[in-house]
This record gives sequence, structure tokens and C-alpha cells, in this order.
Amino acid sequence: MSEDGEKDPGKEQKSSAPRPNTAAARRERRAAASGTGSDAKAGKSAPQGKAGTGPGKGTTAGKDRPTPKRSGTTKEKTEKHSLFARIVRFLREVWGELRKVIWPTRKQMITYTGVVLVFVAFMIALVYLLDFVFLEGVDFVFGN
Amino acid sequence: MLSAFRSALATPDLRKKILFTLMIVAVYRLGAVIPAPGVSYNSVQACQAQVEGQSFFTLLNLFSGGALLQLSIFATGIMPYITASIIVQLLTVVIPHFEELKKEGQSGQGKLTQYTRYLTIALAILQATGVIALAERGGMFPNCTESIFPDSSVLTMAITVLTMTAGTAVMMWMGELITERGVGNGMSLLIFLNIAAQIPAEGANILNQNTPLVFGFVCLLALVIIASVVFVEQGQRRIPVQYAKRMVGRRMYGGTSTYLPIKVNQAGVIPVIFGSSLLYLPDLLVNLTGDPQNPSGFTQFIQTYLSDQSSWLHMLLYFALIIFFTYFYITITFNVDDRAEEMKKFGGFIPGIRPGRPTAEYLRFVLSRITLPGSIYLGIVAILPNFFLSLTGEGQNQNFPLGGTAVLIMVGVGLDTVKQIESQLMQRNYEGFLR
Repeated sequence: MSEDGEKDPGKEQKSSAPRPNTAAARRERRAAASGTGSDAKAGKSAPQGKAGTGPGKGTTAGKDRPTPKRSGTTKEKTEKHSLFARIVRFLREVWGELRKVIWPTRKQMITYTGVVLVFVAFMIALVYLLDFVFLEGVDFVFGN
Repeated sequence: MLSAFRSALATPDLRKKILFTLMIVAVYRLGAVIPAPGVSYNSVQACQAQVEGQSFFTLLNLFSGGALLQLSIFATGIMPYITASIIVQLLTVVIPHFEELKKEGQSGQGKLTQYTRYLTIALAILQATGVIALAERGGMFPNCTESIFPDSSVLTMAITVLTMTAGTAVMMWMGELITERGVGNGMSLLIFLNIAAQIPAEGANILNQNTPLVFGFVCLLALVIIASVVFVEQGQRRIPVQYAKRMVGRRMYGGTSTYLPIKVNQAGVIPVIFGSSLLYLPDLLVNLTGDPQNPSGFTQFIQTYLSDQSSWLHMLLYFALIIFFTYFYITITFNVDDRAEEMKKFGGFIPGIRPGRPTAEYLRFVLSRITLPGSIYLGIVAILPNFFLSLTGEGQNQNFPLGGTAVLIMVGVGLDTVKQIESQLMQRNYEGFLR
């Protein structure tokens, strides 16, 4: 949930804005990107500590300024949260991943369970039989 | 399913593998009943008849498939091998030299396997000595007056120890042979056999001691556990992977989108095997070294809290061990960096995530999140039947083979083996067992 949630809006924003045709429009766009654009991005990613590993963060900012450092900011973020909050977030992420899991269908369940039962039953029968035969044999050789 | 069975046997390659595995199974069971040299077969049989059903050795006996009480040439079981591989794998994290070996790849792995084997032999000698000393002192069959070793000279004992150690080495070899040339994972299959060997006797035991209603309840419980194990075992998190199109000469390659399957329980049954065998170590130690007549405080502590399946400490420890080993085993077997590197090399990427390090990090993120429910599930299934044991009470904690651990191992191994046969069938375009 967290990963997808923060990715999608960014993509939409990029694709919805039309590419500028004239030089003036380009200049305008660049100014907007370095000003409001980056601010909005930072504000959005702040509550989520995972932002550092997200793809392409910070690269959309203006070209004439250095790329913002990532490692420092993420460290601060993880330290800020208490242990309890981190556990809660971890559990929420676990739940998010669990919802993406594809579970077997009823038909699959029946076949797999049946196959496993047959296999186990076969092996138990085989081992039982082998043990019986071998025990008799050993008894014949070593017993009195 | 029958037709799939026929086509499995009709494929010459697969038929060879299956028959080879069955042959190893037969040899393994034969070794479990042949008495070791120096052991009086008749007195062992007489003693066994006396202690029928009340032996405190049942837990250990389970892992040796009944061979321990038989004092056969395979009496030590594969426990030394399991313990040795746990130790070596744990050491890869602790000792830098081992870590280097592990990173080295094929040759380093070979070196590690070699160490595991040496350690197995050392542990086997220890265990065999312990078992023989115990049997000689009369601690194995209490209240049995027959002398198990007619000739208790040092030389005879040494030969017995030697034979049992050799038996362990042979078992280790057979396990590797199954992995290499047969079907399924050798080590788990041998453990599976040990448990399977105990099932008929234990089932009869439950049926005799209780009403058919209880027996039916136990069977139903086993069925529910089997179904739930299959359910979680099949659950997958599919990470989409997109492959880039490439032109090589005049041909177009790739451009397909597949997925990287990550199972909810990526580790399989190995954590359960590791956890349970680690928990039996103190039990084994106490049984082999302690004096059964007047146990010391330490021995009593271990027997009441660690060996008893229904004690809370045992369950808690078992649960924690399983979770630990699940994470541990996954980090060992599923190398996210290698996986990401491989994907990058073949022009694949996860949509929205850069190839290389970010991909590895994403994989690690998903893997660590998805493993938590997987490990908790393993722990719950393994300890859940123990609650019922304490509920039904009186003498029921001997029916361990129908407990969660055994069912988990059996179903896991069964599923693995059948799937391997299935994939071999699929290579030849036959319809498999699983549709």
C-alpha cells in the first residue's frame, strides 16, 4: 500500500502536464518545478520514512541545483519515529504485502491436499511393509 | 491422477529417479533394523517388549525412525547431520573465514559441505558413544535386567561405536544421493521416513487407548492441519518483472512480462526441522549423560520444561526458534542482491523500480514483510497440537508423531517431492498430478 500509494500520484502529475512547446513556456515550467514542485514532493514524502528507497525521488527537481541528499534525511526520519510507531508501520506493511498474495483456489486446494494425502499414505504403507519384512528377516537371522 | 502416475513411470528418466529413491528408502529401512555388532538382539527385543509405550525416549526415537531403541547400525539417526548443518550455517554468520567461503560460490560451498561432513562424524561419534554407554548402564530400558551387551570389553564397544558412526556417514551419503540423483530433498525425505515409520504404531496406540471418537478427532485435526499447510504453502506474492526487448542480429528477444514468485513460506519445512532438533539437543544431552536413577536438578529442570511438549517454556522457545530460523534460512537461501543482479543482466526490471540496488532493496522489503506471517504460521501450526495434548492429558504427550511438527514435515516434504516430479513431467509436456 505504502509503495504504490506514493508512486502513483507522482506519475500522474508528470504525465498530465503537457510538454512545453515554446522557450517561454519551458522557462516558466522550469521555475515552477524548482519552486513549488519540489516543495510539494518533499511535503508528500515526509510522513513516509521509506521515501529514500523510492525510485527517482529528487531527480525531478530543477537541473541547476544539486540533487538533495537522501541518506541524511532518511536517517533523521527513521530516528524520529518511536519504536512503537515503527512496529505499527511494519505491521501495516506486512498487511499490505499479505493482501497482494495470491492464494490457491478451492479446486487447487482439493487437488493438492489429495495428492499430498496419497503420497503420505503411500510412503507410510511402503515403510510399514518394508519394516515388517525386514524385521521378520532380522528375526529369522538373529533370533532364536 | 492415475494417468499422470502412469506417465511418470513411463518416462525412462523419471522412472529411474523414482526407483532409485525407493531403493534408497528400502536400504535405509533395512539399516534401521539390522542390530549393531556386540548387541544381543534377543535381549533388546525382550527389553523392548517390557518398556512398550512408556519409554521416555520416544522423542529421540522419532528422529531415528525407531532405530535407536532397536540399537541398530543406524541408531544415531540423521540427527548428527542436521545438527552439524545447523552449526555450520550459523557459523557462516559468525566466523569471517566461513563467510568468505560462502561468498566464494561453488568451491567455497564445497568446502563448507566438507566441514559439515567432518562435524557430522564428530557428533556421530559423540552420540553413538553416549547411546552405547546409556544402553550398557541400563538407562535406556529401565527395569530391564537382560544384559544388552554380552561382551562389554573396550574393543567390542569401540567396534560398536565405529559401526554406528559409519551408519551415520552412510545415511548422510544416502541423503545426498537422493538430492542428487533421486527426487526430493534427501535430508528432509529421510526425516519424513523416520516419522512415517512411527505413524502406524502411534495410530494404533491412540486407537487402543481411547474411544474411536478421540481417534476420529485426531484424524480430523491432522486433516485440517494438512489442508492449512497446503493452503499457506501455495500462497504466493507475485512480483511483476518486465523484460526489455532486445535485438540480437535480426531476431527480437524478450519483451515478456513474467513474475517473480515469493512464497509466503519461502523457507519450507527446514526451520521446523532445525528448531525441533535444536530443542532435542538438551534432552539428548541429559538422557545420555545423566543418571536415570537419581536425576540432578539440572536434569529435572530440562525434563520438566524443555522435553515436555506441553510445557509453556518448550512451546515459547520452539515458537521463537522457528521464527528465527525462518528469517535466518531465507537470508541464506534467497540472496536478494544476486537476484537483482541477475535480473539486471538479462534486461529485466520490476515496473517502477530501478534495476540494481533499488531492486534488491525492494525485494528485501517484500521478503522481510511477507516472511513474518509465514514464520508465525509455521510456529502456530507446530505448537498448536501441543495445546490439545495438554487438554487431553494423561499419557497423550507420547503421540508426538501426530503433532504439528510431524505433520508439517510430512506435508512439506510430500508437497516438495510431488512438485519436483511434476516439474520433471512438465519438461516432457505430460499432464502432471496437479492441474
